Amino acid sequence: MRKFKLLAALLLYIVMLPTVSSGQNRPVSGTVTELNGKPISGATVQVKGTTMGTVTDEAGKFKLSAPSNASIIISSTGFRSQTVKLEENASNLSLVLEEDVAKLDEIIITGLSTSVKRRNLANAVATISATELNGVAASQTFDGALNGKIPGAYINANTGAPGGGMSVKLRGVTSVYGNTQPLYVVDGVFVDNSATSAGLNVITGALAGGSVTSNQDNPSNRISDIRPEEIENVEILKGASAAAIYGSRAAGGVIIITTKKGRPGPTRITLSQDLGEIKASKLLGVRQFTAQRAASLSNDSATGVALSQEFLAAQSAGKIYDYEKEVFGNTGFARNTLLSMSGGNEKTTFYFSAAQKDEGGIVKNTGYRNSSLRFNAEHHVSDNVKLTISTNYINSGAGRSLTGNDNKGVSLGIALSSTPGFAELHPDKLGNFPNDPFASSNPLQTIALMRNNESVNRFISGLTLGATFQRSTKSTTKFVAQGGFDFYNLETNVLFPSVLQFQAVNKGTSIQGFTKNLNTNYILSLVNSLTVSDKLSLTTSAGLTQESGDYNNLLNVATQVISGQSNVDQAGALTATQFRTRFENDGAFIQEEASIMDAITLTGGVRFDRSSNNGDANKYYAYPKAGISWNLTRSGIFSREGIFDNFKVRAAYGEANNVPAYGSKFTSMVVSNIEGLPGSLINIQRGQPGIKPERQTEFEAGFDFSVLKGALSFEATFYDKHIFDFLMQSNLPSSSGFSTSWLNAGNLRNQGVELGLNARPVSSRTITWNTSLNFWINRSLVTKLTIPPTPQGSFGYILGTFQIEQGKSATQIIGLGGPGGSIVKWGDAEPKFQMNTYNEITFLDKWSFRFLLHLKAGGQNVNLTSLENDFGGTSADYDKVSNKLGVPDAIYRIMSIGSTAKEFVQNSGYLKLREIGLYYSIHKIPVSYVKGIRIGVSLTNFLTVTKYKSYDPEVSNFGAGFSSGVDVDPYPASKRADFHISMDF
Amino acid sequence: MKSIIINSLLLLSLSAVLFSCKKDFGNLNSPTVESFLGNAAQSDLNNLVSGTESGLRTSLAFYLDDVGTIGREGYHFSASEPRYVTDLLGADAATLSNSNFYINTPWANAYRVVKNCNLLIQAANNSTLITSDQKSGYYGFARTIKAYQLLLNLNLTDSNGIRLDVSDPDNLGPIVSYSEGLAGILALLDSAKADLSAGSVVFSLSSGFNGFNDAAGLIKFNRALAARVDAYLANWPDVLTALSESFFSLTADFNLGVNHVFGTGTGDQLNPMFFPQNQTGEVRVAHPSYATDIQPGDDRISKATLRQATASLSGLSSNRDVWVYTSSTAPVPIIRNEELILLYAEANIQNSNFPEGEKALNIIRNGHHLPNYSGPVTKDALIDEMLYERRYSLFFEGHRWIDMRRYNRLNELPLDRTGDDIWSEFPLPVSE
Repeated sequence: MRKFKLLAALLLYIVMLPTVSSGQNRPVSGTVTELNGKPISGATVQVKGTTMGTVTDEAGKFKLSAPSNASIIISSTGFRSQTVKLEENASNLSLVLEEDVAKLDEIIITGLSTSVKRRNLANAVATISATELNGVAASQTFDGALNGKIPGAYINANTGAPGGGMSVKLRGVTSVYGNTQPLYVVDGVFVDNSATSAGLNVITGALAGGSVTSNQDNPSNRISDIRPEEIENVEILKGASAAAIYGSRAAGGVIIITTKKGRPGPTRITLSQDLGEIKASKLLGVRQFTAQRAASLSNDSATGVALSQEFLAAQSAGKIYDYEKEVFGNTGFARNTLLSMSGGNEKTTFYFSAAQKDEGGIVKNTGYRNSSLRFNAEHHVSDNVKLTISTNYINSGAGRSLTGNDNKGVSLGIALSSTPGFAELHPDKLGNFPNDPFASSNPLQTIALMRNNESVNRFISGLTLGATFQRSTKSTTKFVAQGGFDFYNLETNVLFPSVLQFQAVNKGTSIQGFTKNLNTNYILSLVNSLTVSDKLSLTTSAGLTQESGDYNNLLNVATQVISGQSNVDQAGALTATQFRTRFENDGAFIQEEASIMDAITLTGGVRFDRSSNNGDANKYYAYPKAGISWNLTRSGIFSREGIFDNFKVRAAYGEANNVPAYGSKFTSMVVSNIEGLPGSLINIQRGQPGIKPERQTEFEAGFDFSVLKGALSFEATFYDKHIFDFLMQSNLPSSSGFSTSWLNAGNLRNQGVELGLNARPVSSRTITWNTSLNFWINRSLVTKLTIPPTPQGSFGYILGTFQIEQGKSATQIIGLGGPGGSIVKWGDAEPKFQMNTYNEITFLDKWSFRFLLHLKAGGQNVNLTSLENDFGGTSADYDKVSNKLGVPDAIYRIMSIGSTAKEFVQNSGYLKLREIGLYYSIHKIPVSYVKGIRIGVSLTNFLTVTKYKSYDPEVSNFGAGFSSGVDVDPYPASKRADFHISMDF
Repeated sequence: MKSIIINSLLLLSLSAVLFSCKKDFGNLNSPTVESFLGNAAQSDLNNLVSGTESGLRTSLAFYLDDVGTIGREGYHFSASEPRYVTDLLGADAATLSNSNFYINTPWANAYRVVKNCNLLIQAANNSTLITSDQKSGYYGFARTIKAYQLLLNLNLTDSNGIRLDVSDPDNLGPIVSYSEGLAGILALLDSAKADLSAGSVVFSLSSGFNGFNDAAGLIKFNRALAARVDAYLANWPDVLTALSESFFSLTADFNLGVNHVFGTGTGDQLNPMFFPQNQTGEVRVAHPSYATDIQPGDDRISKATLRQATASLSGLSSNRDVWVYTSSTAPVPIIRNEELILLYAEANIQNSNFPEGEKALNIIRNGHHLPNYSGPVTKDALIDEMLYERRYSLFFEGHRWIDMRRYNRLNELPLDRTGDDIWSEFPLPVSE
């Protein structure tokens, strides 16, 4: 009880804190420019120690009023902040900011409620600015916009279908069967990134055994709902050394998203409109048939004759079609409108945006739509109490068609693979589609009549309360409460009407899914900053955390559906499945940061966490972290007048966990009925009551320096990441009645190097060129495995499979083809290395040219798309003869099945011009109410240089988990061109 | 003062959130094994019975495709799954792999049902809410189904064997040889018969067990399976004994027997062997030799109907659909009288009681609009005739390959492409 009284008193104290009285104010004005005299617009000018401030206009000018004897701080991204003590005469100040390509003054969030400047950071934390994220070229979704921009990441699209579906792996695979995806935090809210299947497995049977859902259903993942345009900054904590304070959910790294906030000053209104076109990046082409080739599709001579006649008839009627083009050759129209408004005064600032995009796909009747409303506000209740609110309502929807692996011959790619161009698939005069005589489904009919839609209504809201309740010359203490919720309803609407060729048995299938998900989290913390002397200052923070999730998915599968209907009651048969998960993690943390002479920063902290998903739900696990950064120039070891403007060495260590999947501790009984008799059948997954979380330790060390007055900076990082007790779904001898069981199966290691170079090679009044070049490399190794080598989710040794094996890379791909029929390694999903370069060239004040190049060297995929086409006799290079046996290449490849998997494990390296854009700004406009206009054109994923023989080397038809890079007739990747116009009012 | 109260209330509610104790949410989606092992009520045990019966069907199509394809009864053409025509037929260098679906899926499913049966036995044993003869009823059902599932797996792996004792997943029994396996299965059937003789049936079975859903009926079903196993063991006198205790009848309907049934109800399954006629892409067609080898007038040609267009894939083609299962809710026999009549013929021929064997064969022949057998009355000739009748009577019910194997005649099966192979057995799954 005493504790409550104390806290009550504390709260009361906060509420009643007197505001600092502001003395006599006087006007201050000035201009902020770069070294070369170019004005800096949008720079923040703030009176030190207060909330008073403004931003500079297009000409770099600002005006505000400040107390006499005050200091003002001028800051702008890409420049070093400057503090200026105001003299007597404070009008028409000329302020020059030095450039800072190393972003040394950037504020990096390092604790749950604390942050440090990059110059003192002990970790290599990547950040992506709004311009890099969204200012070069258009991306459909947020995760798509991240691609190629994070050094140390391996990002793959699971499908090219509208609405996304991405896999993001930071610093190698961090788990085999557990979650490999990072935690996303938007304005303090831990948001859900799950992918909910629409039950397509009912249609495709991709996973045998009659399951309603599978990992091959290619759903979108929910982070795609977030709109890149609303994001101010993205910060990526790549491993435990930086993210340990996020505890049991940090093993895959943490991506911290900060959305746009208003700034004091006049209200700025921006209206942007993008118009674009989306097309397939690449089509594979189709086989050119002749009468003889048509006949060879069958080994039955009579059928062969009929086929060659069919071909000749089609040829003379001019009815040879390119069905690949008809199916995947649609041009999607894209529009995106954004209206934003921001502004405020010293007490309250706001940002509001309303946005809508609607984008077509490369398959007819597919597309993506996203409407979003955001309102962010910051209010200073008093000088000591600040309240920040961010709210976001999203309505998103996608039509995703039917693609990918399938055992019933119904997905578009599989149907195409066996359909020659002389088949007639087009509807007759009455609009009736013929059956495809060469496949189980007529893809044109499927596209025209099917539906596979997702629609999401989502509300994300976060609240931060910061209250300084103790302040003296040496110490300030703040109470920070941060929390929020993420709630969505997801509807999946799948309909395959009875007239479809492949609905002869089910006579129409409608699968209606309803999902509700609520995530909540909060952090309550106390932060004390203590200046012991001018050489030592300490920041202490401690607090409590809680995260919870509640997911409920109901899938209704109706068959024998009445024509024209999709409601599940309009059907002859109905099966329902429901799946729920819940978790709650509770934690407590304490963190200490010491800054010595503003040159050495020491950080130490620990978090204690328990999770309801662990075998023992009440056991607390501890996650310590520690870091040191030592700025050699600031501490005087390197002279600041020497070569280096700034030189820092750093090292950090941290631990994190990955909790077991929900339900891995139970052996459940699934429902299996017969003739209305309810039945319980044992699940094939054996429960493991003692399941433990995977534990990750990461050590990283590196150095950063900048030279040439900040015009060139270099960053080098080495990391060594160990995962202990990694979770695996081990394969049990199936005679036990179980096929799999969760298990803490062994240890694995990721080591890697990340190098980054930022420079401004050209900087003059007329032209500025900013460039960054990154290189990253990762190697994994299974250091211990307590079970025999285990093949993982693919197509077996014959076609190439992943296999977890002690002493080998975790992502190796092995298969038949060694001497004497043995199994050998044919590849590895891990790239040899990756590089990217981002460039921004501004010239003549008005033009800006930006581009992003991304190189992935090496790395293999299991490519079955071309094999399917070989089997169906339709591959474009079917009849080419380039093999040693002198038979057609397709025959050669088919013949190699069973002797070698080499043909199917293919190098998926590429060089991609991911984004390129040219923008032109007009400042002097005859109409007074328009303050500025920007127009631009951009291209996304327009150029890919690769030897890979399928649609796109970036592919993962088996979902976001471990087995990335499996390619089975995916929805092809797309490229796009956009025109942009935006106006400021 | 008011604000203190309000703030205190606020903090109190906050602390309630913080220190709430319920952290283990249990399994929200389904019962768990433990919930059955406590003290199961009759309704719980009946759920296990229905789950067991339902589970028998899950991988049926894989089993029948395996046996039917290697036995050259037909092909499963699939645009998306080449291994039906590569691995199973041994195309070029392709062999049967121990890591592929065609062995792993049916094998695992059979043992899953076995596990459910073991759970049923254990749960019935632990239960204090049922009588001992009710317990015996559950045991008898569970052991009969176990034996049937083990037999299917042994049919696939043959000399590679099976595990008989799988009650403890952490300590599985050894892999036993083919003959030990059959002996074990037979022993299991015998003990199930004893259970059923002493037991009473208080559980419901589907209409697939119509006429056999009480203790006496289940014994007949059990003995029919025993007759099949005895035939595999070539214990010919025992075949006749078992048949006499089964539902075998020379005069009854050929289709009398026990079936897997299918339905559209929730959680139920459709017949996975049903493909409509004249489908393209995903088709199951009869081997061309089915039509060429059939005797004139044999009405069993209706099991392989002519297609409008020949289906072909990878150098194989056929103009006849497999038309044994004619709707998505058509039943699939587990064992039926026609097989028992043929077992009766076989045992008699093997015992050199040729007139009785010939009589049984003629019942089959006449039932299919064929005249009486007119060939030589020798053991070899009658065996040939018996195998012919089995081939056509039990088409795509999972017998041809096993029959040819037990008579060492696999080399008589047709090869369709150069480089094809006829396998005699599946490897054990890699997980074993």
